[in-house]
Amino acid sequence: MRASHQDQIERWAEFVRNNPATWKKIHTPFINAIFAKHKEFLERLRKTPHGEEKIKEMFGLQ
Amino acid sequence: MCIAPPSRTKILCSGCFRTDANNLLFSFRAFSVKRILLMAYWRLCTYVFAISLYISDDKMFPMDRQVSDRNILDQFCEEFCEIVEKYCKYIIVSGFLVIASGRTRGTEDIDMIIERIPLDTFVKLCKELDDKGFECMQSPQAENTYEYLLDNTSIRFTRKGEHLPEMEMKFAKDELDLFQLGQRVKLELTGLNVWFGSIAMNIAFKEEYLKSIKDLEDAKYLRLVYKEMVDEDEIKAIKKMIKKIRL
Repeated sequence: MRASHQDQIERWAEFVRNNPATWKKIHTPFINAIFAKHKEFLERLRKTPHGEEKIKEMFGLQ
Repeated sequence: MCIAPPSRTKILCSGCFRTDANNLLFSFRAFSVKRILLMAYWRLCTYVFAISLYISDDKMFPMDRQVSDRNILDQFCEEFCEIVEKYCKYIIVSGFLVIASGRTRGTEDIDMIIERIPLDTFVKLCKELDDKGFECMQSPQAENTYEYLLDNTSIRFTRKGEHLPEMEMKFAKDELDLFQLGQRVKLELTGLNVWFGSIAMNIAFKEEYLKSIKDLEDAKYLRLVYKEMVDEDEIKAIKKMIKKIRL
């Protein structure tokens, strides 16, 4: 494991432990953003040539 | 001459009095009754606004926070689990447990282990999932997907018309899974009304069985966040079981 990444995990874990009422305020937009980015990307991909086929293949829908 | 000063004083005094009286009269005319009433009304509005802010700070903000604190994965998982719980015992394991405990990483699916249930119960479960807006990616026919489960293959559910997130469901396949179901916990820190596999079980699986960099980081994170719940002897015992049953 990368040392700097290890440090980040430790720091954030400590923050979550010490701030049980507030960590979700930071965490929720982060998780939601992952899905928002995914959805935006799929919309862009869908508009490209063969985009719909690629999406179906990605999710095993063929 | 000698009475001049008193008379002057009197004049001055009366002058002063007249001046004050005139000012008052002027003030009274300038600020008509209408204006005074308007000012009183404005002040009242200010008090009402201040009081409403005080009340909203006390009662509405926490409600607002509760709603906004649920991320997409939380909402999906809670709604799905609420239905499954009516039909069988289940646990959520691995990645989502770690994310629900605060780890900042993504996942596409949530892993769920359920106890083995007869076909008719499974059909009812699928019917309710369908009614509540979920669909199975493999097949809409519960009889078909039941075969997958019997073969120890997981089946995937999403919200209708959406690709992500997914709930990956599988039957408990051995005594280790049954043991996990028996040890299930609700974790207050997650803020979710969902049954999870125990922390010790998840750490042991990630360190002994899965072992990818991501899984080792997850295990480290769980050890830190749930420091007081980590029992090394228990983890060792579970690792022994994993070696015996799965490896």
